[in-house]
Amino acid sequence: MMHILSMKSKTKNMAIKAIADAPIFQIPLLQHIGKPAQPIVKAEDYVKQYQLIGKAAEGISANIHSPVSGTVLGIEDIVLPDGLKVPSILVKNDYKYDKLLLSDVDEFSEGSIIDIIKDAGIVGAGGAQFPTNLKYNIGNKKIDTLIINGTECEPYLTADYALMSEFTEELLRGIFIVNKILKAENIVITIERQNKELRNKIAPYLIQEKYKNIHIQILPNIYPQGGELQLIKSVTGIELPRTRLPKDIGVIVSNVATVFSVYQAVETHKPVVSRFITISGDKSKNYGNYEVKIGTPLSHILKEMNISSENKNIIMGGPMMGKNVTNLNVPIIKGVSALLFMEEKNNERNNCIFCGYCVEVCPMHLMPMKFEEIYRAGKYFKLEKYSLSNCIECAACEYICPSNVPLIESIKEGKNKLKELINAIQ
Amino acid sequence: MQSNSIVYSPFIRTKDSTTKVMIDVMLALLPCLVMSYLAFGLVPLSLVAVAVGSAIVTEFIFSFIFLHRIDTLNDGSAIVTGILLAFTLGAFTPLYVVSFGAAMGVIFGKLLWGGLGRNMFNPALIGREFMTIFFPTVMTSASIWYNKTAVNIQSINILDNEFMSSLFFKASGAVGEYSIIFLSLGGLFLLLRRRISWHIPFALFAVFSVGLFILMYLLPEKQITFSLGGLILGTLFMATDMPSSASTAWGKCYYGAMIGLAALIFISNGVRYEYMSYSILLLNGFTGVINWTFRPRAWGRKLNLLTRIWQVITLSATILLFVFAIIALHEIGGIQYLLYIFIIYCIVYFIMIDTKKEKA
Repeated sequence: MMHILSMKSKTKNMAIKAIADAPIFQIPLLQHIGKPAQPIVKAEDYVKQYQLIGKAAEGISANIHSPVSGTVLGIEDIVLPDGLKVPSILVKNDYKYDKLLLSDVDEFSEGSIIDIIKDAGIVGAGGAQFPTNLKYNIGNKKIDTLIINGTECEPYLTADYALMSEFTEELLRGIFIVNKILKAENIVITIERQNKELRNKIAPYLIQEKYKNIHIQILPNIYPQGGELQLIKSVTGIELPRTRLPKDIGVIVSNVATVFSVYQAVETHKPVVSRFITISGDKSKNYGNYEVKIGTPLSHILKEMNISSENKNIIMGGPMMGKNVTNLNVPIIKGVSALLFMEEKNNERNNCIFCGYCVEVCPMHLMPMKFEEIYRAGKYFKLEKYSLSNCIECAACEYICPSNVPLIESIKEGKNKLKELINAIQ
Repeated sequence: MQSNSIVYSPFIRTKDSTTKVMIDVMLALLPCLVMSYLAFGLVPLSLVAVAVGSAIVTEFIFSFIFLHRIDTLNDGSAIVTGILLAFTLGAFTPLYVVSFGAAMGVIFGKLLWGGLGRNMFNPALIGREFMTIFFPTVMTSASIWYNKTAVNIQSINILDNEFMSSLFFKASGAVGEYSIIFLSLGGLFLLLRRRISWHIPFALFAVFSVGLFILMYLLPEKQITFSLGGLILGTLFMATDMPSSASTAWGKCYYGAMIGLAALIFISNGVRYEYMSYSILLLNGFTGVINWTFRPRAWGRKLNLLTRIWQVITLSATILLFVFAIIALHEIGGIQYLLYIFIIYCIVYFIMIDTKKEKA
């Protein structure tokens, strides 16, 4: 792992503000890993704010709700940040905010909390977008450690920091609720050293009896410290193979924003219709931490923030693992943690000089430069010899590379080629 | 608005470049250049200038011819190759031989392989080998190392201690070796700038000195002579050359250790001048296998220690076999055939890569 530019100071201490609601929302039915939700509204229907509009499909899927009240304009294919086209419900905002909250539950049992999480359409907010109700469905497994991931290790990102700082009590209540399901003996909130002042905000609550099993662990400012596997290793010392799930070893990792969503769903009966994002970047005129409703088109944010799209690289997510967006129609979805405006990428590529920096920084102990060499030679089968499938695509290798070698391109495309080859054989 | 070309992450990078790597190497070598002026005035400076100039001109012309690129000079590697080659030579080496060596180093050491980074061997040492093979009488004459009339300053007194003074400055040996202190400081600078890592120099010195100690203990009557400056120059600047050396932590340790061992075997078997070049070039050839053998244990996977140990044993045996083969070849005066084979290999390799590229 490696030290990385922080770039957080610009937005770190900025209070969370709301971005004015868009006139039309485009709400994708796929904002999670798995199958798209089934639309349960049609054109010209009237929907209330928080109303269920997409019902989770069988298997891995998640509910989708309307962020505002208004009229359904129709269902269209919309491009997501990763370039995938998915059916999306278009809702015309009537600015009346007629609400339809999640149904109340009298008595909290484990099952009822999981049901609320499922109803609220909560998915992992750190970027993975895995449905949280499925993650918390641990069966008869015993959870020893619940890790609350506050290690926002990508540069520029401060939305989680702002959340922990402004909604400390809500976060802790969320943790308490989550642990009613998981019953972990030990709960660890992880924070990077550069944000260690958060400890002073959180610690005063921890003297309360119901929070007595929550601890704060300060971790070094290294990238990718917030990666699930790296975090588990730092907290428990266990090196979990990629082929196994954390719950197999009695660990669950949840992002702070996910836990906050659980709090909102259980205590305020609100489903996931908004999230906190950081707007920043070297070419951003305005910046800060914002609450943005899910389905807000990029073009609307640009207008509200008075930022032009010209001559810049617009990124949804962090600068290391985020996606470059060229279509201004792309909406904010549940897993997007930031909107960054960056310099155009320098495409001047040089030969790898085998300096070995990428090997030094690779958190998965791989040799990234070999992937580029093999990919360039077209010998895709050899990629797995160097454990390509172990790669988490954190991009630390290309960040540190002095020759600007296209490592991530080789890795991502190499994985695709390998998949094609394996499919062709089967 | 929508473009089909995907821009891959990451969207930020360190402000680092190959050019910066090369500039750091140049900075590290600069003090020794000054010391060479103290030793023989303008003679070594003109030698370095000719080597660098020849490398630059060759790179420009042949990079255009072979690689169809005219921007390869920007990375500065031609300059580094020129300086490093000059640093291994005697100050009074005829300049036409120097310019020949630098040109061959660039062509056969780098360009025919596909440019900087694709080369298997250290270009400066390749250039040096071309010189010793094609100009054997020049390269083995004593007059290229020393010329009494040209001496600028014979010695500098440091701390009234003869040994310290000779480490600080001594007008003998190759151009880069006049000051062992500044040579080492240059290496330290590269270490602090993270342009080299401690693994290779540490393992090399450790194996070499322990081996030397054992050798002197076992065979006290044996005369072992070698130049400390040459050893340090080779260790810090040649063996650590990024493209031609190993890239993983354990790989670097092994690579350094084997160079140290090979060098010691060469010295004790009568290879008097070329021991460092032979050892480094030999290990250069094994870098790929070393990287594979010493690849890091991937996250969450088990290390098959027995397989790895077996691989290391066979690898070491192969390398030692080559060491003794080279000694035998050296004794019968057949080293030049190795170079001829190398030249043919380079050309065939280039043609193969080039035709592949044209097809694609």
